[in-house]
Amino acid sequence: MTRYPMKLVTIVTEALARDHVTRALRELGASGYTLFEVEGEGARGSRIADIEEFANIQIEVVVPPEAAERILDRLHRDFFPRYAMIAFESDIRVLRSDKF
Amino acid sequence: MTPDLLEAVRANLLTPAALFFLLGVLATVVKSDLRFPEPLYVGLTIYLLCAIGFKGGVAIAEAGLGEVWLPGLAAAVVGGAIPLWTYPVLRGLGRFKPVDAAAIAGHYGSVSAVTFIAATTFLGTIGVFYEGYAAAFLAVMESPAIIVGILLGKAAMDRTDGGAVVADPIGRALREALFGKSVFLLLGTLLVGFLSGTAGMQATAGFFVTPFQGILALFLLELGTVAGRRLGDLRRVGLFLLGFGVVVPLIHGALGVGLGYLTGLSLGGATLMGVLSASASYIAAPAAMRLSLPDANPTYYLTSSLAITFPFNITIGIPLYYGMALALYGGQP
Repeated sequence: MTRYPMKLVTIVTEALARDHVTRALRELGASGYTLFEVEGEGARGSRIADIEEFANIQIEVVVPPEAAERILDRLHRDFFPRYAMIAFESDIRVLRSDKF
Repeated sequence: MTPDLLEAVRANLLTPAALFFLLGVLATVVKSDLRFPEPLYVGLTIYLLCAIGFKGGVAIAEAGLGEVWLPGLAAAVVGGAIPLWTYPVLRGLGRFKPVDAAAIAGHYGSVSAVTFIAATTFLGTIGVFYEGYAAAFLAVMESPAIIVGILLGKAAMDRTDGGAVVADPIGRALREALFGKSVFLLLGTLLVGFLSGTAGMQATAGFFVTPFQGILALFLLELGTVAGRRLGDLRRVGLFLLGFGVVVPLIHGALGVGLGYLTGLSLGGATLMGVLSASASYIAAPAAMRLSLPDANPTYYLTSSLAITFPFNITIGIPLYYGMALALYGGQP
């Protein structure tokens, strides 16, 4: 089977940023995303996730390389200064390139 | 303090609500692994808001709207006005950035439902009558200050830079403030209680009234741990905010008590109006501010409302506002 190269963009951020981030993803060409609740520690201290206001989410989105570029640019410019957030991309290969 | 007031402080500290809260704080101090799952916290919040709204609605039906509207209006106005003077204080004396000052000001105009509930428990314990419909004041005081705080912050952001790119536009912010889960549940269950009246109360009392104090105690245990985990942040917010978190509630408490007196409430009702004016939001306001004013630093508003003002009110503040009301009413309930 043929595999097509794609990018997986992973974003870990505070739960309250959820709507802003997912809206931006759609806007920048993502056709969907996966979201789950996580906790951990980082530069802005321990994100203890004991109540909704302090909860953290991880968002994963599979996109073509150009879209990954646009997404990371936007996150860097608008989101990093305001929200507790990390984001990175990884190279992946998918089976159905038209799905993303 | 007079012996009466000391007695009131003692009575309040010995309510299960206050003791469970302190137990929760203790759990974090000794690093116990006690921790509630987040869905339980959400579930307890929903129960408390529904129970308090429903009981308030039934009380409005029993008292009649004619008796409720004037103090209710006063409550909404004072809630919305509080940020207008706390903002310049935070800017001028506290040297906060405009957007931080606006966010903190919004928190102090808005209210804490749990502080209100703890105050009704306290009044019940010492046998002081209060108007059951006071829950309506809680419902109408939550949103106005959040909206005013967001508007103050937006105005400041427009002046400084175009940093509003990732912030909610004002329309969405308004919707969040008016229909966010706590306001929606409070107003909605007030309406349900009002429409179903005394008969509705009889049908649901086994669920909404009898277990209420126990569930409140459980919730405060959890809230104690949440507040306790933020005690470390006290060092980061500075001395000004520490003082602000205690002095401002005292001033607003006196204001609320006076307003309750002027609008014809009983001694207990005026105490509750004082408690509401003095309390600061830590559920609805932080969520709304984080979305609408993302440039404001959450450590400031969360630490001051959750780790300073809330513990102060729930232990010492409530009996103090009662003492103020007692003085105003000449000791005659």
